[in-house]
Amino acid sequence: MIAQQTYQALHDAYLEKVKHKSDRLMNYFLVSFFITGLLLALFYDTWLVAIGVGSLALLAYYSTKLLLPRSNAYQYMVSVVFGLFMAQFIYQMHGLFEMHFIAFIGSAILVTYQNWKLQIPLAALVIVHHASFGYLQYIGYDKIYFTQLDYMTLQTFIIHGILATVVFFICGLWGFQLKQLNERQIEQTYEMGRFQEEQLQRKALLQSNEELKKSNKELDSFVYSVSHDLRAPLSSMLGVVGLCEMGAPDPFMQKNISLLKTSIKKLDGFIIDILDYSRNSRLEVDRQEIHFDEILADISNNLKFMGADDQRKVDIRFSIRNGVAFFSDKSRLSIILNNLISNGIRYQNPKVSDPFVEVSVEVSGSAADIRVRDNGIGIDKGNQAKVFNMFYRVSTNSIGSGLGLYIVKETVDKLQGAIELWSEPGKGSEFSIHLPNLPKGREVPANGLGARVNGRDVRANDRKA
Amino acid sequence: MEYKYKKVMVIDDNQIDLYIAEMVMATTKFAEQVVCVSSAKEALSYLAPLYENPEEVPDLIFLDINMPEMTGFDFLEEYQHLPENIRKKCIIMMLTTSLDKDDRDQAEHNEFVRRFLNKPLDRDKIAELM
Repeated sequence: MIAQQTYQALHDAYLEKVKHKSDRLMNYFLVSFFITGLLLALFYDTWLVAIGVGSLALLAYYSTKLLLPRSNAYQYMVSVVFGLFMAQFIYQMHGLFEMHFIAFIGSAILVTYQNWKLQIPLAALVIVHHASFGYLQYIGYDKIYFTQLDYMTLQTFIIHGILATVVFFICGLWGFQLKQLNERQIEQTYEMGRFQEEQLQRKALLQSNEELKKSNKELDSFVYSVSHDLRAPLSSMLGVVGLCEMGAPDPFMQKNISLLKTSIKKLDGFIIDILDYSRNSRLEVDRQEIHFDEILADISNNLKFMGADDQRKVDIRFSIRNGVAFFSDKSRLSIILNNLISNGIRYQNPKVSDPFVEVSVEVSGSAADIRVRDNGIGIDKGNQAKVFNMFYRVSTNSIGSGLGLYIVKETVDKLQGAIELWSEPGKGSEFSIHLPNLPKGREVPANGLGARVNGRDVRANDRKA
Repeated sequence: MEYKYKKVMVIDDNQIDLYIAEMVMATTKFAEQVVCVSSAKEALSYLAPLYENPEEVPDLIFLDINMPEMTGFDFLEEYQHLPENIRKKCIIMMLTTSLDKDDRDQAEHNEFVRRFLNKPLDRDKIAELM
């Protein structure tokens, strides 16, 4: 819209310039015509006509221009005035044939306005003049001096007319073409200006993008060092607690040490969650080929030592079906799977004999469908919609930070995917995740598909839900 | 019960972590002798003269990443310039609190690094290495 206005302004300014320049030229031409009339009066003493008709012509032009300054009627008046001067000069020179050329001069001058329509009044006047005066002379009225020929044949008259028409036509064409050419030039100038502006904007955008990336990177390395500095003493504590455990057979001490260990692990997990959350929200999606078997093996390896001491080992099973390569963000996928699998371990059901977490992956050209199923304690129907909320914990006994599933949801969103939860208390939970295949170059869909619980949409931030 | 390794070196700027590693390895009979150094520089000056008696070179090195002055990766840069008879005998394992993917990738792509372990070094992890 703004661009359109700018183009219009440029166009109007150009037209204004053409008009101004042409109007100035007209002043010179019209005065010259008037003086020419005076000079021609010397031949046959036609002073009355030279001054009378010439003044009337100029008066007609300037009064139109003064009275209708906003309209371009005065330009049409110029056209009429040129016709009048032609008629005047022909008369003054007693029908000298060459005086007919004055019409052609007028026609050529009008090209400057770049408006073919201006040729029409001149042409019309010439036709009317020639027809009437020619006829008058033909019927024997000889005081009008239309031509010096004794007898003008119809053939001569027609040829005369055709040639005049051709001149008016060509001058009109030049005017029209000149206008088109100039309009194209304006367009180009405008396009060029816009292009330059766009380039500048793009440059500014690139620069601010670069700055943003830099500050993101700085923030990332800050988060990295802070989390390292927070976690290093925790791992030392965990190490020392481990040493105490080795040398303390007293069951009372054992119990206390185990509580200490759980607390330290919880704090450590919380820091890791915050780190994951911070990285997910700020870092760009880094697409690479995903090898689910490697990622899952890594995770189950890392989770081997997880869980409270009184919990049993949970059987982690995978089944991967991938006919085609899958591309997504490896670290984000690890965050998602790690959180879901560790939840499965954490919330195992003490009543079942074979606690398990089963991960099945099915890859197609367009997406990967991942299901993480367990036979854990499950989640109450009433609480299912809230599990993706920030800091929501199902019970006060929950060991987690309340961030895990929120991070999962946020991360799935970042990968433009969708997550769905089905759960039945006492039987287990199943999270199914649909992630689009994102090979390099494929456009990322605009929005994530969100989270669904038992078939209904939920919003991660809707804390009142 | 036999010791798994004769000599194990731990490179870590954190004294407590050195102590933990030493104690865990002693109680699990993982290493007969534990050499604790608190910087990568110190480790290099310990290792460099050993090309004359390679039997004194540690069988295993636990290497921390985040250390002041010279990081674990800086140490690996220098390590490759050590004489071959030292490099041949040593197994290097990263032992760090870092969960960073880049750290992990970099460690796994290094020809000298056998494994990437997260702190703390405890009985379960040692059991796995046994």
